[in-house]
Amino acid sequence: MGALLKHDTAAADGTDAAMVSRRDLDTVRRMASGDPAAMGELYDRHARAVYSLSCRIISDAADAEDVVQEVFSQAWRQANRYDAERATVAGWLLMMTRTRSIDRLRARQVRPAVSGDVEAKMLLQRDPSPDPEAEAVTTDAVARMRAAFAALSEGQRRAIELAYFDGLTQADIAEQLREPLGTVKTRIRSGLLRLRAAMGRESL
Amino acid sequence: MMDHDSLREQSGAYALGLLTLSERREFEAHLETCADCREELRELAMVTESLGRMVVPREPPAGLRDRVMHAVSVPAAPARSRPRRMSAAPAWLLLAASLGLVAVGLYAAVLHQRVSQSEALARRTELILAAADVKRVDLAGQDAAPNASGRAFWSRSRGVMFTATGLPPLPKGKVYQLWVVTGSAPLSAGLLTPDAAGHAAAVADMPPDIVPLAVAVTIEPEGGVPSPTGAKYLVGAV
Repeated sequence: MGALLKHDTAAADGTDAAMVSRRDLDTVRRMASGDPAAMGELYDRHARAVYSLSCRIISDAADAEDVVQEVFSQAWRQANRYDAERATVAGWLLMMTRTRSIDRLRARQVRPAVSGDVEAKMLLQRDPSPDPEAEAVTTDAVARMRAAFAALSEGQRRAIELAYFDGLTQADIAEQLREPLGTVKTRIRSGLLRLRAAMGRESL
Repeated sequence: MMDHDSLREQSGAYALGLLTLSERREFEAHLETCADCREELRELAMVTESLGRMVVPREPPAGLRDRVMHAVSVPAAPARSRPRRMSAAPAWLLLAASLGLVAVGLYAAVLHQRVSQSEALARRTELILAAADVKRVDLAGQDAAPNASGRAFWSRSRGVMFTATGLPPLPKGKVYQLWVVTGSAPLSAGLLTPDAAGHAAAVADMPPDIVPLAVAVTIEPEGGVPSPTGAKYLVGAV
């Protein structure tokens, strides 16, 4: 039962990322107590990331806007269930964003044309209009992640892209890449572990 | 049944939500017994978070903020967002729960008449008790409440339903809070205010991807808290 009384540890190490986490955590707690102003703060900090990811997954601005609305409504309703040990607040929002975006994608039965190389180039693009305040903490981590992603083997990169951004099942990915299922599984895991190694501790 | 190495190969797919239901169950069962795999999964979860951040940034349209804020400012929303507060459970509810699945039909029918919160609540209770994957968890009174006992029915697909009896009266400004304890952290399953006889009940949704280890009730400040702070009154292992 030790876990029952464990508290969030995200803010313990005093880094910038930890301060962001702590601020987010406070915001989510206020949302759980029904404070709409807290919801506005959460939106101002994270709407851009949510909208960007949703646009990337569904390639449809109107649908992506709906997803933003759904994600923040869900965050509002479920603020009391947010679990700081499972994910940062941003991670929690992005998880919901991905799930809802992929649900829409599947519901429409439309899949964007797959073109791994084009995607890799897009991912590597510099931020066209960085918002200094919002970006200050994450820019390094994002840049490192993009570089690490580009450095994966093509097989690893495409398998992860198809899974993460296109919501394909492992069997679909195997078919698309014309590889055995076992190879796909191995590539996804080894690719994610390589990304993890490249992230370093300070980006957490 | 797969061995450890084959299961471990699944961790990446699990982190990206790619496993089928049966694969996921097998992997989660393994997670409960394997600290190495739990740790790996925690690491991979950080990666999947970062993947979502590296896309080309796009500015949300100007009017979207107002639409989002409007959705939460309608009167019903804030009440729904708070931890659910259930009215004290009548004795028939506790009896029905103890009779378990046999009583589902009658129980649900009575709930439909009696529970004022919503029909949806009654339907959820019915669905949980009737779920093929329902698990029963018996909770024992702890030092703070040796005479209390509780029972939870948990279904991965349908959520958790809980009843308790023998809970001591609450001091002013306090409330009981129900928790589903997972490998990572406890999730709140709502607030409990017992009636004069110490009966209380709650129904809550749970994320389907959790690995519940225990169900517990603690005493907390009124309004509830995001993670438990107070003494444990009831605990039961899943």
